[in-house]
Amino acid sequence: MRTAFAIARKDLRQRVRDRSAIVIGVIAPVVIAGLMSLAFNGVNSFHFTLGLVDLDHGPVAAELVKSLDAPQVRQVITVDEVSSTTLARSEIRSGDLAAVLVIPAGFSSAVTGEHPEPLTTITSNNATIAGDVTTSVASAFVAQVNADRLAFATALAAGAPRADTSQLAGVVSKLHIPLQVVEGPIGAHELKVISYYSPGMAIFFLLFMISYTARSFFVDRAQGMIERMRAAPVRPVEILLGKAISVFVYGVVSLATIGVVTTVAFGADWGAPLPAALVGLALVFSVVCLTALVIGVARNQRQAEGIGSIIVFGLALIGGNFFFISSAPSTIKHLALLTPNGWAIRGFTDLATIGGGLSTIVEPVAAILVFSAVVAAIALSLARRAVTS
Amino acid sequence: MSQTPVLECAGLTKSFGARLAVDGIGFRISEGEVYGLLGPNGAGKTTTMKMVCGLLEPDKGSISILGQRAIGNLEVKALIGYVPQDVALYPDLTARENLEFLARLYKLGRRTVAARVDEALELTELSDRRDDRLDSFSGGMKRRMNIAAGLLNHPKLLVLDEPTVGVDPQSRHAILERVQAFGREGLAVVYTTHYMEEAERVCDRVGIIDHGRLIAEGTRRELVAQLGEQDRIELSASGNLEHLAEACRAVGGVSSAATADGSVHLVATEGRHLLPAILEAADAAGISITSVDVVEPDLEAVFLNLTGTALRE
Repeated sequence: MRTAFAIARKDLRQRVRDRSAIVIGVIAPVVIAGLMSLAFNGVNSFHFTLGLVDLDHGPVAAELVKSLDAPQVRQVITVDEVSSTTLARSEIRSGDLAAVLVIPAGFSSAVTGEHPEPLTTITSNNATIAGDVTTSVASAFVAQVNADRLAFATALAAGAPRADTSQLAGVVSKLHIPLQVVEGPIGAHELKVISYYSPGMAIFFLLFMISYTARSFFVDRAQGMIERMRAAPVRPVEILLGKAISVFVYGVVSLATIGVVTTVAFGADWGAPLPAALVGLALVFSVVCLTALVIGVARNQRQAEGIGSIIVFGLALIGGNFFFISSAPSTIKHLALLTPNGWAIRGFTDLATIGGGLSTIVEPVAAILVFSAVVAAIALSLARRAVTS
Repeated sequence: MSQTPVLECAGLTKSFGARLAVDGIGFRISEGEVYGLLGPNGAGKTTTMKMVCGLLEPDKGSISILGQRAIGNLEVKALIGYVPQDVALYPDLTARENLEFLARLYKLGRRTVAARVDEALELTELSDRRDDRLDSFSGGMKRRMNIAAGLLNHPKLLVLDEPTVGVDPQSRHAILERVQAFGREGLAVVYTTHYMEEAERVCDRVGIIDHGRLIAEGTRRELVAQLGEQDRIELSASGNLEHLAEACRAVGGVSSAATADGSVHLVATEGRHLLPAILEAADAAGISITSVDVVEPDLEAVFLNLTGTALRE
């Protein structure tokens, strides 16, 4: 064990001196998590300016304008009245407006007539979500009008006196389609973008440790250092253990540093410290096992880099380090549960949303440890051969 | 002196696939003795040394260090100092950090590690560069550091595998001086080389190895005596040296002829008297000889005589 610690200490000393290790281990994940948070932050507080071109000015158009002033709609949309469609188009091009809703002339009278006058939405290619929201708002209004028309027609068909049509219209106009869909967070708290991408990026760069360490092992071997260690009374397993300890320490320090920095600087939520630490430790252990596997499978430095990169990007893509796994296709969601990083992200996000303590992370930690045990069983004999060959 | 040899090998054999690298080699080395393994590149010297140091397991044969079975015995490794052919040190660590790390592999205490590092640096005259990174060292200094690393455990047996390859003459001289001193200080040293002059200069006994087999062994005097009245002749010529060697082999009294280093090396009985016949043979082969050097019998002549090839082909 003493020898393994000596090897780990030496490896860590070299790693600290290697600036690229600090960049990969700490700086890059923090910077990229911050950038992703900035890039996707709008998802949490989506808002846009809608241009409204009212060419009708009738009572139904007034109802539509009024509906855009509802408190729920105002959270998302700021309405800016524009005098003409041409001007609205030019403001979309200049980026002042994200979308435009055009109420055509004769829209109000068409409601009671036989020839429809459709509402038109104009959207920018750069603001597709704003376009979708505008279309939804317009469709909802049209659905309401159609429902009113149907109710009115039904009442007349049922024998309501035509003399009372204005009274009937007043009653019908107060009817509303019940709201049927309500969105809300799954846990006690809504998941912030930074709380997803902080662990996502930290884990992604932690995975780079696999190819980095495997490569350094083969550099050591090419330099004759593994042989020199073996010429001393050192067992191959002690050499591997020393390497494993250095990966473990570096990984834990890297994750902890990123956790503290993103929490303090960006307000990321990693969950309660103790369960989050346990998820992190389990994940770093899986990285150690994967490193041993690459060392065991590769034959030289180049192969170690190649195999390591495949594993890193494969796991990151499947595990959901680059995108919200909740928005991924179901196949990817299932595949993510075969990866330690996928389980770790799930653990961290569960802690950030559901909260709770150790009970929240039992399943993710157990899954990561099972994965690690399987990899370790395969890796151990292969890696030992890499040391002695 | 202890009666038990420091190193005793018997019947060492090692194959890599179909290639037989070491074929039944056996030798023994006593305390204070510098033993040279002399042979051309690829003769099996490094493979033999790796087996002695426990880095390769022999297919057959036995190795004992101070009477202890060495194969598969981790503890015996603490008795051996290994200096590999290539410099095996971390370029991004300082001299002190490299040596401290390697000393710790022998499970020495902190104070002992510090003392051994100081001692090794002093011995190799690198104390003033202790806090400099290895990548700032010259080739010769790295070689000396490589040797220093092999001394950290106070070995009973020091294995030096071609320690002067690629070293400037001044550093080479310093290394050879140091190796001779190791022997005088009572250390058993195995020194592999393909430089005949080095083997002659530093080794008490020499084993000549070729194609994985130990073909002769003894002191320089004993080995040269095998040649009897034979001399070694070096011929420089313009033209096809292989043709010249072939022409010389036909001269009566020439026991072997080989080309190496841009000249033809002959071993011949009473070589001085054969010179006219050799020149005549060269002339008949259409080759003009530019210089002739008759040298005292040496290990090069012994190797040439035994193998029919020069050490450095």
